[in-house]
Amino acid sequence: MSTSPQAPARRSILRQPSWRARAEALFFLLLRMGTYSVLFAAAVVFLDIGIKGGRVVFQLSPPFINVPFLTQSPETLNVFTADGAKVKMGDREFRAFKAAHPEKLRDVPVETYVYSAGGIFPNIVGTVLLVVGSMVIALVLGVCSAIYLSEYAREGPFIRLVRLSIANLAGVPSIVFGLFGFGLFVVALDWNVSLLAGWFTLAFMVLPIIITASEEALRSVPKGLREGALALGATKFQTIRTNVLPYALPGILTSSVLAIARVAGETAPIMFTAAYVVRDQMPWQVEKWTDFFFQGVMALPYHIYVVASKIPQNDYTRDVQYGTAFVFLFTVAGIALAAILLRARLRKQYRW
Amino acid sequence: MAIQSPPEPAVSHSVRKQLLAPGKFRLFGRNRDWWIKMFFEGNAAISVVVLLLIVFTLFREAAGFMPGNRQNLEVYRRAGLEYVDILKRQTTEYAALGRQLGAVRLAWLQKLRAQGLDLPAANTRLAALDALDSRLAEAIGAHETILSEMTEHASSVKERVTVGQDMAEVRRNLLGGIAGADAAHAAKLQSGADAVVLETIDFVAEANVLIGRFPELQTANRNLSAELASILAALPHSGDPAIDKPLARFGDRLADFGASIPEREAELARWRADRPVTFLEGFNAFAFGREWITASFWQDWYGVLPLFFGSVFISVLALAIAIPLGICAALYVNQVARPWEQGFIKPYIEFISAIPSVVLGFFGIAMLGETLRQLSQVAWLSWVPGFPMQERLNGFTAASLLALMAIPTIFTLAEDALQNVPKALREASLALGASRVQTILKVILPAALSGITAAILLGFGRVIGETMVVLLCAGNRIAIPDLSLGLGVAFQPVHTMTGIVAQEMGEVVRGSLHYRALFMVGCLLFLLSLGINYGAQKIVRRYRLPQS
Repeated sequence: MSTSPQAPARRSILRQPSWRARAEALFFLLLRMGTYSVLFAAAVVFLDIGIKGGRVVFQLSPPFINVPFLTQSPETLNVFTADGAKVKMGDREFRAFKAAHPEKLRDVPVETYVYSAGGIFPNIVGTVLLVVGSMVIALVLGVCSAIYLSEYAREGPFIRLVRLSIANLAGVPSIVFGLFGFGLFVVALDWNVSLLAGWFTLAFMVLPIIITASEEALRSVPKGLREGALALGATKFQTIRTNVLPYALPGILTSSVLAIARVAGETAPIMFTAAYVVRDQMPWQVEKWTDFFFQGVMALPYHIYVVASKIPQNDYTRDVQYGTAFVFLFTVAGIALAAILLRARLRKQYRW
Repeated sequence: MAIQSPPEPAVSHSVRKQLLAPGKFRLFGRNRDWWIKMFFEGNAAISVVVLLLIVFTLFREAAGFMPGNRQNLEVYRRAGLEYVDILKRQTTEYAALGRQLGAVRLAWLQKLRAQGLDLPAANTRLAALDALDSRLAEAIGAHETILSEMTEHASSVKERVTVGQDMAEVRRNLLGGIAGADAAHAAKLQSGADAVVLETIDFVAEANVLIGRFPELQTANRNLSAELASILAALPHSGDPAIDKPLARFGDRLADFGASIPEREAELARWRADRPVTFLEGFNAFAFGREWITASFWQDWYGVLPLFFGSVFISVLALAIAIPLGICAALYVNQVARPWEQGFIKPYIEFISAIPSVVLGFFGIAMLGETLRQLSQVAWLSWVPGFPMQERLNGFTAASLLALMAIPTIFTLAEDALQNVPKALREASLALGASRVQTILKVILPAALSGITAAILLGFGRVIGETMVVLLCAGNRIAIPDLSLGLGVAFQPVHTMTGIVAQEMGEVVRGSLHYRALFMVGCLLFLLSLGINYGAQKIVRRYRLPQS
């Protein structure tokens, strides 16, 4: 669409006065500056969190990654002076230390900072569980919905209603989905704050994205494939199964990856439906297998919110804040980047 | 698409079997294909169902708010809190007068010190003003006494009402248990319910206690008027216009206050405890109430106006940043950029939309807020209205981050709209000798305007529904900012509808009035988003260009 510089040639033909050309150049410069300032602003966000968080997550000595930060639970940090040196300890270590050397802690003031020690392992696990569960639900519902819309549906009041609902659902604010999930799943269905409630809330939230993307992928499969199958006597469903879905699947999946980024990135819908500020057990430590679905989990985005605004701020909390933000941002950004690149490749690959 | 199988026995050939054998499966007289179609149709209906469920859930939970709030307001009136508040407003205004005089005194003192007087000498010069100041403070004494006694009385009545409501609830619960219980247990419940004493409060008598203070107030008002008049007459002159001007302004306000005393008195005289609270009054208290006060010992107010204002205010601010930049980027990528730039900028901006909002909010708290505040303290930037900023977290901090979130939406949709402008228009314009700028501004931009408007509307929808950034960065002060500051109002902290829901929903008692009020806010947000969406769709459909 862009027209590479033909301007000089045209100028010489039309003999425009040169101030005009200069104004034109200025206008384009302005556009370019506007565009690049947006890119710059985003880069600042990435760099700030990348640099400060990178210092927490990575380290200079082997194994180069801060393993405890990624594999431990959040703990309270205890800071005190022992043997003339400042000691920082997580809560568990501190208790063991206290039991071993009670004399060292006598009359020593201990400062405590919540969530500032340990790591974010349960949060990562919780986020993964939320994403996987909600994507399974959303993909099943969304793809089936899209199959109907692209393969079976004929124009009519029902289809118009469905399309209207999808369009409107896409614009509903995420906090309203949170309220809805709270009102329906947590209160009315009495599931309490649970994985299940979070799954459905998140799944309904991304449903419009998945339906739209899947329908686009299904529609881009050429008609000839369907007609060929039907002409051979296949039923409608056989046609869809053998001649439409396999070719649409890559498109559906890549577009769904973007939905994953959305699901993982949202905080508002899970605030009252699935997320706990702190929880001691890991999600698999349940008595009955059914309890697994009815437990709340810790999640990365909610943890960022909690450590950024709900606890007193100081230098020790800075580390866990930036570390969590780093892990979260770059996971989500990585997923989104993969989706964008995959899609670009796919568009080149399938030209029917 | 039923195909008759051939009469001779089918050869065992897998393709043939698969393709030509008709389904033997039948359920309720329908074949398999019909059921499969129904299955997909049912899935398609899910989005309709979800939308209906959202509507149902939100409105069901919010339903009790209007009657509940009306009851809340009724108690406010019956218990006489409203009566006390009329007097309280008067004393609050009076306190503001005192503060104004204090400010004048400070300015005068600084002036005197600047003239070279030492502190004692300056204080002597200001003795006349100080005398007036203490007279001003003493003049309201009688009112203060009456007010504090009336406050105590009214709040004790309200306390009794609350206790009564709680006891009634206990009784209801006990009686409700009787239905399913055995005889002995039922008798126990019944006696327990009977033991609950429900006090009937004689509101008329209680209100009369308050109204009985009215003659006292009248006397106090007369004394106050006289005292104010004499204070006004005794206002000193400094001889310096820089001081005389605020002093004269203070005098004006003093006179205004004096003039308002009979009005307030008439208002008190007019007040009736048994005037019913109309539905409209209850609705206005929600929709146009300027206060959102919860868990207060005096009176809870659920006025959504400051929150609504805050949401719209931040959104407008964010769009003021995002629209120019988003459209700029769309024009640049679509019309000016070279292919390699396009291939890099488009995914990049799309990528920005993947930044989670909570991370942006965190960035605002950790970096942007502090950076902006330090920037605002730089001397040569002091001409910017609102600088230096008082608060690190304010409307502007949140809006600039929201703008970053809205830009991808606006950019993508606007770029699509530009892409859809028929090439012929552009070529014709260039062929007629228009320059590229002329073509862009006068041909392409107007042709894509409907799409761009829809993009802006959807960007608005995205911004007004955003939660985490405003919750973390907007400063969360529930008040309509002081609009007299001009453009500097951008740097005032505000609270938003999304923010209040996220902030208070976790701590609220289920089923309480506060809980229902939050669902009311949710309904409002939902309806707002539907309206914005509807507008965007309508614009796109109405002004669609004919495709070449």
